[in-house]
Amino acid sequence: MEISDHTKVAILGAGRDGLALLDLLHHIPSIEIVGITDRNPAAPGLQRARELQIPVIINVPDLIGNHGVNLILDATGDPAMEASLHTHKLPGANILSGSASRLLWKLIRHESKLEAELLQSEKLAGIGSFAAGIAHDINNPLQLILGLAENLAEERDLTAVHEQAQDIIQAVKRTSAICRDLTRYSRRASPHQDVLVPVNDKLDEALKIARYASSLHDIEMSKQYQPGAVVKGNPDELLHVLVNLITNAVHAMERTGGTLTLETTLHDGQVHVRISDTGCGIALDKLDEIFEPFFTTKAPGKGTGLGLYNVKTIVNKMHGAIAVDSHIDRGTTFTLTFPNAKPAGQGYLS
Amino acid sequence: MDEFKSGFFIGGEACEGRVLVVDDEPDIRKVVKMTLQKAGYEVLEAENGEKAIEVINSGENRLLLDVVICDIRMPKINGAEAVAYFRSNYPRVPLIVLTGFPDTDMATSFLRQGVVDYLVKPVEGEKLRSAVARALEQRELAKL
Repeated sequence: MEISDHTKVAILGAGRDGLALLDLLHHIPSIEIVGITDRNPAAPGLQRARELQIPVIINVPDLIGNHGVNLILDATGDPAMEASLHTHKLPGANILSGSASRLLWKLIRHESKLEAELLQSEKLAGIGSFAAGIAHDINNPLQLILGLAENLAEERDLTAVHEQAQDIIQAVKRTSAICRDLTRYSRRASPHQDVLVPVNDKLDEALKIARYASSLHDIEMSKQYQPGAVVKGNPDELLHVLVNLITNAVHAMERTGGTLTLETTLHDGQVHVRISDTGCGIALDKLDEIFEPFFTTKAPGKGTGLGLYNVKTIVNKMHGAIAVDSHIDRGTTFTLTFPNAKPAGQGYLS
Repeated sequence: MDEFKSGFFIGGEACEGRVLVVDDEPDIRKVVKMTLQKAGYEVLEAENGEKAIEVINSGENRLLLDVVICDIRMPKINGAEAVAYFRSNYPRVPLIVLTGFPDTDMATSFLRQGVVDYLVKPVEGEKLRSAVARALEQRELAKL
């Protein structure tokens, strides 16, 4: 969704409609929800607002008359509210109420559904390129299992029988882990499930998935994780972002080999995630285009051109930013910056 | 008698031939070795193409290596590069590709390069042993 101006929104009513507006609008980076109000202190939207650290304001005039509010969304469904709004609102603030407010909610919901579809289709298209990696990781343990089972049929030494049976069990476990990782990755990201996500763990998980898309054999790995890097967002979507960036980095080093660096740092209340490669780099005149939909340097049928577009959409939704620095034949660094979601004063075990 | 066929003696036991198994997974090398040793082969191991080239270029292997079984997806020098090296430097040593990824185009291209067999994991012991036996026959024919 493109809204060029920064919009400060007040939501009136925290029932079903108000809650839906809150959930949808708080994902849009150019919209700031300055507060939400409801006569009923048990309204579900108020609870949600507290979780999202959005101010809950008791008094309607307090909310709409301050904070530079320029859009008032009235989701109370109360005809008396409209008249009262016009007396208290600041000059220049717009009001959407009743059916207009519901229409807005429907449009945003439609847009976020389309976004989710786009993300899912890109993810599934990408899984096609995992075939070689998956075949390798399944058929190797199967070879071990078959070879050992054939041997067990004739083995007389009981100690050897026990050892080899253990080896078979381990091989089966490794194989089933592949399916578990991949089904977790390919499932549709569930909407509105913002939780605290430990970034370092997600990077490791993404690395496991990225192995299927491209061979990491000739790549040196450097991990520099700062403990306590926690962001708020949808874990499935963040995983997708990281898999995408790691896969791109590895592809950039496909012919030359090189070093993949995964780094997290905490600084001034922000989490920085850096994914760097020492590969082919991106030409300066292409740098502006890489986040555009359908931009790809890959051969037809190899890339959807939606990878970095989706990455940027997700990062923005998480109130984060993405930056890229690249030099031809020296490599590329993508830096993601998110607000640090680590609860104050709490240690985080990673 | 054995020594008049392709075999030679190692530690007093008859040896059917010397096979080099190239695979980055120690588990695969272990089971392939187990399978072939039962049939009387001496089995050498290499964990990637680079090591495989080192092995074939060391000492008596240059002359006595009978068959190479090679994986494709490996670090350093990968299987495809190793196959190309073996074909141009040791054209008389038969090569068997043993891969986890069935790919018809790749199989065709390897067979064109003179690879004698393209096997997809998991492969039964019997099939592997007969592939090695066939490869050895080819080597004997090439010697004539």
